Amino acid sequence: MENTYHVGMADLVVVSAPAKLITLGLGSCIGLVIFDPVAKIAGMAHIMLPDSRGAKSTEKVGKFADTAVPAVIDEMIKKGASKARMKAKIAGGAQMFALPDAPTDFLAVGSRNVKETTALLAKTGIALVASDTGGNKGRTVEFSTDTWMLTIKTLGKGKADI
Amino acid sequence: MLDLSSFNNLQLDAIREVGNIGTGNAATALSKLLSCMIDMDVPRADLVSIYSLAEYYGDPDALVAAVFVRSLGEFGCSLIFIQDEEDSAMMVNLLLKQQFGDSLPAEMPQEMLDSALSEVGNIILSSFLNAINMLIGTKHQISVPGVAHDMLASILEVVASIFGQMGEMALLVNTELRVGDGERSISGNIIMLPDPEALELLLRKLQVL
Repeated sequence: MENTYHVGMADLVVVSAPAKLITLGLGSCIGLVIFDPVAKIAGMAHIMLPDSRGAKSTEKVGKFADTAVPAVIDEMIKKGASKARMKAKIAGGAQMFALPDAPTDFLAVGSRNVKETTALLAKTGIALVASDTGGNKGRTVEFSTDTWMLTIKTLGKGKADI
Repeated sequence: MLDLSSFNNLQLDAIREVGNIGTGNAATALSKLLSCMIDMDVPRADLVSIYSLAEYYGDPDALVAAVFVRSLGEFGCSLIFIQDEEDSAMMVNLLLKQQFGDSLPAEMPQEMLDSALSEVGNIILSSFLNAINMLIGTKHQISVPGVAHDMLASILEVVASIFGQMGEMALLVNTELRVGDGERSISGNIIMLPDPEALELLLRKLQVL
């Protein structure tokens, strides 16, 4: 039986295979997975916001894209992963509500999360091999170290592996 | 800026009373719209960790329907009306029956149902907000509503991301409305999320700041 880990909002979990990483009900947040299939190590973060400017230093590192991405990489390296072999997958970043006649920057935080996370991965040199982002539907994601696949469940659309 | 973690009981009580006034007005409007009795709970004003919002309301995985509006006046806030999917469908059905009577078709297109839902949500939230604007003397202006059907956790990430930019606590003014007194009453929750400046304005007008 594999070990199953639930990654809560702003949490960050790094595991050795065999394991399953699950995040329920991603809306505007991002489910980021980074994995090294040779060292058999995977990490997942549930990112809420694009950047930590103005945040208190005591806040969880998994909360912001700019703190979560380096933290997952560091944790994985500590467990024996190699940065050169790391690959990433992301899901989430939806916009749950659209208001046609109001300034809604705060409702578009999902797309800013996607942009920031993608940019940070590119800067770090980690290949983003699959992604399922945007839209207006919530996602539940599950990453298995058996297949290194990210299974995404969306209301009304069923399941998809990326 | 206001630090939510230093809120005192007097301030929470004042905000709860504001919720009470808003809910009373919302219940009256809904009662007129649906021509039936509406029951309301005493509102709560709670400080909740943004990381456990879904658990505060129920099962993170549960399917819910939500209507979202934004106050565009001086009292800036976001308002959400949230219901279990089943309760929402029953409420929409009540409204449509009211409008169409016996000529109501058995199958309605989803756009029609969502339009009815956004109308119910809009009336509830607009009345709630209007009562508060009247109380503190601010101008009432509200956005067109947005509707979503999704997992509770996904919907509440909107709330978490709004408060998450300021800290790790959310101030929720939370109240429940119940329609009908039959075997199965219909419930719905109003959530008010005041902007930091609006919260200061509100507390000042109520003389608890």
